[in-house]
Amino acid sequence: MGWRVAFIAGLVLAPVLWLLFGALPAIQIDAGYPLLIAAGLIVGVSTRYGAGCTSGHGVCGLSRLSPRSLVATLAFMGSGFATVFVVRHLIGG
Amino acid sequence: MSRITLSALIAGLLFGLGLLVSGMANPAKVLGFLDLAGLWDPSLALVMAGAVLVGLVAFRLAGQRQRSLLAEPMRLPTARDIDRRLVLGGIGFGVGWGLAGFCPGPALVALGTGDMKAVVFVAAMLAGMALFEVLEGQRT
Repeated sequence: MGWRVAFIAGLVLAPVLWLLFGALPAIQIDAGYPLLIAAGLIVGVSTRYGAGCTSGHGVCGLSRLSPRSLVATLAFMGSGFATVFVVRHLIGG
Repeated sequence: MSRITLSALIAGLLFGLGLLVSGMANPAKVLGFLDLAGLWDPSLALVMAGAVLVGLVAFRLAGQRQRSLLAEPMRLPTARDIDRRLVLGGIGFGVGWGLAGFCPGPALVALGTGDMKAVVFVAAMLAGMALFEVLEGQRT
């Protein structure tokens, strides 16, 4: 088993480990299935295209003081804020 | 299981537990952070700042080493270019993140709770990554 698979397995098993000691915290997913599928596809393509996400660019890249990751982080924070504004206050408002 | 595999597993578990403790595995809370015009919840910024503070020390120590604690060669990212791919990828990711409140790490943690919505999101995300591979393969 490769170390990458082991790391992913650890992430997925974290809630299982948690459940041995107590009830899980709330995980509230309001999006419906069509939106989840669209969002998942976009996140999948884009994180590969931009070579990182909140963890890769946001936490690790900023920790390494990478200018590249700072640009990526500003890009996804900006478009994340804009997307929620459009969805909640322009369309849903 | 090798010591490297075991350390990666423990790192994944620790990361996942951190996301659960901080509430970052909860899309409703993440969307609360992204909703600047609503009842803004700054938690995500604080969690990220905390993680970066720890990371600053960790990567500083890592940068001083030729080999990892388990004697593997250090493999830190080498890309430096700030190009169209980086910016468009970042913008695209932000759109998907804002639509559902899930980014890859927290989605994998939510998957482990068995929530069907998380299963569907992760399946779509993996399909998106596979789609990228196909599109990328056609370019070359």
